[in-house]
Amino acid sequence: MRGTDYVLKRVFFAIVTVWVALTINFVLFRLAPGTAVTNLSRVPHATQQLRHALEVEFGLDKSKWQQYVIYLKQLAHGNLGISYANQQPVSTNLRIALVNTLPMVTLGTAFAIVFGIFTGVIAAWRRRTKTEGLSVSTALAFYAMPTQWLGLMLIIIFAGVFPTAGMTNEFLLNPPFWTHVRDLASHMFLPALTLGLTLYGEYTLIVRSAMLETLGEDYILTARAKGLKPRTVVRKHALRNAMLPITTLIALSLGYIVAGAILIETVFSWPGIGRAVYEAVLQRDYPMLQGAFLVLTLSVIFFNLVADLLYFRLDPRITE
Amino acid sequence: MMKRLLATLSLFFGALILAATATGCGGGGGSSSSDTNASSGKSGGTFRLGTASGIDSLNPYVAFNQDAYSAFEYIYPVLIQYDSNLHYAPFFAKSWHASNGGKTWTFKTQPNAKWSDGKPLTAADAAWTINTDIKYASGGAASAAGLVNHIKNATAPNATTLVVNYDKAPGPTWVLGQFQQFFILPQHIWAQHTGNKGADLKTFANNAPVVGSGPFTLVKFKKNNIAIFKRNDSYWGTKPKIDEFGLQQFSDDDAMVTALKANDLDAIEAVPATAMKTLRNAGFEVSDVPGLDQTDFIINSNPNKKEHRELLDLKVKEAFDHAIDRQKIDNVTWLGAAQPANSIIPATTGAWHNPHLKTVSFDLTLANKLLDQAGFKKGSDGIRVANGQKMSYNVIAPTDVQSIPRTFQIIQTDFNKIGVQLKEEALDSTAAFDKMISPNNTYQGFDLAMWDWVALIDPDFMLSVVTCDQYGGWSDSGYCNKSYDKMYSEQQVAPTEAKRRQIVWAMQDMLYKQRPYLWLSNDDSVAAVSSKWADFQNTAQGPFNELNIQSLTQVHQK
Amino acid sequence: MSEASFFVEAPVEGGTSRRGFVLQTLRQQRVALVAALFLAACVLTAILAPWIAPYPLHEQVGLVFGHPSWHHLLGLDDGGIDMVTLLIWGMRVSLVVGFAATFVSMVIGGTVGVVAGYFGGRTDNVLMRITDYFLVIPDVPLMIVVAAIWGPSLFHIIIVIGILLWTSTARVIRAQVKSVRERVYVKRARALGAGHARIVVRHVLPQVAPLLVASTVLTIAVAIFDETALAFLGLSDPSTISLGSIMQHAFDRAAISTGAWWAIVPPGVLVTLLILACSLIGGALEDALNPRLRVAHLSARTFRLRPLVGRGKDAL
Repeated sequence: MRGTDYVLKRVFFAIVTVWVALTINFVLFRLAPGTAVTNLSRVPHATQQLRHALEVEFGLDKSKWQQYVIYLKQLAHGNLGISYANQQPVSTNLRIALVNTLPMVTLGTAFAIVFGIFTGVIAAWRRRTKTEGLSVSTALAFYAMPTQWLGLMLIIIFAGVFPTAGMTNEFLLNPPFWTHVRDLASHMFLPALTLGLTLYGEYTLIVRSAMLETLGEDYILTARAKGLKPRTVVRKHALRNAMLPITTLIALSLGYIVAGAILIETVFSWPGIGRAVYEAVLQRDYPMLQGAFLVLTLSVIFFNLVADLLYFRLDPRITE
Repeated sequence: MMKRLLATLSLFFGALILAATATGCGGGGGSSSSDTNASSGKSGGTFRLGTASGIDSLNPYVAFNQDAYSAFEYIYPVLIQYDSNLHYAPFFAKSWHASNGGKTWTFKTQPNAKWSDGKPLTAADAAWTINTDIKYASGGAASAAGLVNHIKNATAPNATTLVVNYDKAPGPTWVLGQFQQFFILPQHIWAQHTGNKGADLKTFANNAPVVGSGPFTLVKFKKNNIAIFKRNDSYWGTKPKIDEFGLQQFSDDDAMVTALKANDLDAIEAVPATAMKTLRNAGFEVSDVPGLDQTDFIINSNPNKKEHRELLDLKVKEAFDHAIDRQKIDNVTWLGAAQPANSIIPATTGAWHNPHLKTVSFDLTLANKLLDQAGFKKGSDGIRVANGQKMSYNVIAPTDVQSIPRTFQIIQTDFNKIGVQLKEEALDSTAAFDKMISPNNTYQGFDLAMWDWVALIDPDFMLSVVTCDQYGGWSDSGYCNKSYDKMYSEQQVAPTEAKRRQIVWAMQDMLYKQRPYLWLSNDDSVAAVSSKWADFQNTAQGPFNELNIQSLTQVHQK
Repeated sequence: MSEASFFVEAPVEGGTSRRGFVLQTLRQQRVALVAALFLAACVLTAILAPWIAPYPLHEQVGLVFGHPSWHHLLGLDDGGIDMVTLLIWGMRVSLVVGFAATFVSMVIGGTVGVVAGYFGGRTDNVLMRITDYFLVIPDVPLMIVVAAIWGPSLFHIIIVIGILLWTSTARVIRAQVKSVRERVYVKRARALGAGHARIVVRHVLPQVAPLLVASTVLTIAVAIFDETALAFLGLSDPSTISLGSIMQHAFDRAAISTGAWWAIVPPGVLVTLLILACSLIGGALEDALNPRLRVAHLSARTFRLRPLVGRGKDAL
């Protein structure tokens, strides 16, 4: 029953981490200067009554411990508070934003995986040639670029060819389905490309090193001696070896990718969760910031758990 | 294993993309299709306007941004507007007169008006909105409290007559000025949201399509993204020439200007100074008119402040004033798209601005002389000493005013030449305000700060921010002067426009001499529009404004 | 096994002195050597900034967004200030933030790693649990939140970045300390009655030092990256000029749509080169020390990846 044991341990770890994240979230935002009261009572002829009413409304007249308990209770009901900016539930605002982020981030990750596998294979196959050097150096160079800067470079290069702001052409009312899809795709291309370029480097190195390991092994030599085509060798054996670390790396980085989207969405005015964080920072909309931070942290914890379980499932050494 | 893995992965990605695409298509109000871009002929079409600010909320009790108020101007009835000469003109109110010694105002409103959902729009809606705002003035309707100040109640004896009763007779321009900003809400929608002692007024989302009555209806709204306004064919006034317009929000100026150049937009409402030349060269019409925004240098004028009391000395304030190179600030920070400012009421308000006030000259010699005369000698490090303390101060700089860093550098360099050391303390606006009024609204928390004000045409609001009443409210200077407050009350009840103007000028004069603010620049309102469109009017408050509905109702394709 | 590493052919045995090892590695790897020279040149330029910057930093010397010319090789920014001057001073601040934040995280991470690895047992468990929790919290959002709440100042940024980057160092150091602790001469020293502190300082630290250097260099890369991200979002100190804030000003003042590419491209190139240089140096050192290290350790984004449980004690 080692399997169940392991799964339980990981799940328990995830739950505890969630609790730690929630508490850090609470503490951080209680330290914020200016409360709902300061923010919302800046209206002409604000009175002491108004301020007091706001304090009661936001529970700021209770002790910190009571506030913490209320906070946990509200979270259990999915209540993330009310945004200062539009007085609407934070969860609603975030849900809409998250739905906008996912396709762009997914496409970007797909780019990264495809580029990574392609360049990693080439680098390993053409070991110790200029191609390998070029492949790896390019990967490293893109990886070292600040994400927001790369986005701006792509805007400079592609302005006029691809749309550089927004998610769709909002002025198209009720377009036919395929027009809409084409519109969405053309807006998504540059942000997703930015994400893909900054991420693919790590996949390149992993694929390359995994393949190099496999390629040096005896059974590969045997396969080649038998006359198997190089592509078959690569595909059937070497690449397979790389799938394990790649899969888990993807699962792990998915959590961070959503966070990295903050910079990309700001540069491309993409109305997703990253942009919501940026706007919340500008407006010091603490409930929104708190909610977004929570969502991002939870997604990372979740994907870490998925990665742990996947790895456990797939690593031949463990399952044996 | 690998095949299954790849298959799973691709299914996962594919599903995600498809799901999100489908969701992305879903939302947004429907309406009959119209051409998305210009068709031939003078009327019709969609006008695409870009902004870097945006509508923060569709609820008038919550919204804070200028764009939101401008949107309300187009979708909600307002009794009065400004005409192009900034005089009051009838809008929903066709005529008005005062009686009962000025304590009762009667407005005759448009007959046969309808809300966008077909229900009748009458004076009763206006009366209801006024009474509701009074009732919940210290709760949900707090943001409208200032506009219904001094009103006892309002009634609607018939569908086209609105009667407003005041507790004391206010001045006529003051009344009109307040009602110019007052949005009338549909009673049949909002009456259901007054629960929780009026707190529900603020939590009502008022989602699109918004029930309103104006030249346009707001049919689609996505926060931080887009707002689409469609021509209202049941509108009781002059119909707009275009079919619809959209306000698209960008996270920054660069993206917005790039979109305009790529013809993804037809106009933008606030052109950054650095882009003016590029846009002109690209064939866009860039209009640059004096605006209502003014940047200021604030000297804590709380008469009870404990630290650095030399800053209360009028001669010191005067010296500081002469050490500010307003011309350079206009050139570097605003690239010439600004004028030096000299009063709390900007010149763009027309007759309300006191024309006798001269812009303070940039004169370092005079500044040095004044400080020498005050007895503040320079130390060995070049910094003057006042009352045993160095004249070295923190200047609170709110991070949301983008022009501050460049302007501060200019001022800091010049102040070094008069022996005063300044250090920038950047804080976000909430933290900045908190610090300035601390502890507990006693205004002991700061010496100097920089900020900006966006004035209205009617001077009442700007004049109120330096009253004692506004401690902890709008006051960011700590200024408190009983004589000034007396004049403030008087201008509200002045019987004629001329008399009111006299008082308003006197108030500006007092502030000019007492210098709670050193006024820096009055920056221009710069808008750009594609040459395919005509009659897109720019005003001191921008083309998309809260003054009147002329821009978007008159714009048309060439 | 050595096939896997990009940088080194033959693994270098431990036991050589710290300084000798680092230099030896660098000399052997051309790429890393070039990177090290570049980094040294940048540091030197930054130190000499007050003397070699061609124009004053706060004075307007030409038109806003002036074009590159013979007088101003990289043009002028949105305040009419010379770009080359800005880059030199900006690099200075970025490097200071990078080094300072790294120092903070090295102190924390190194201490945690040494203590956990040396004492083992319960202490190790507790410390690693804490490290694990820290690792799972996404760093960029946390930095944004803390900077937004705490206020934009260079000091805050340094502390915030430092507090988030110590985890990887701690893990790496801990693993190394563990293996050192098992070595014969350490055991003998214990048997002879030497105190913990003495053993740590005289026997453990020298073995750990090369890895610490590698980790330090990688951390600097991440710190510089994070600083540009925070500056871009408007959370850095507005009164200081860093490479990140140069990019932010250009972005805010519509540089791209005005066509002033020189205000945006050079700072990014410089940041990229700095991060690349640090990554290459750190990577070369790490590879030389531990060729069995299989996970690609490109620093900026995967730096805080925690190893997957299930690999057993070999896991770093």
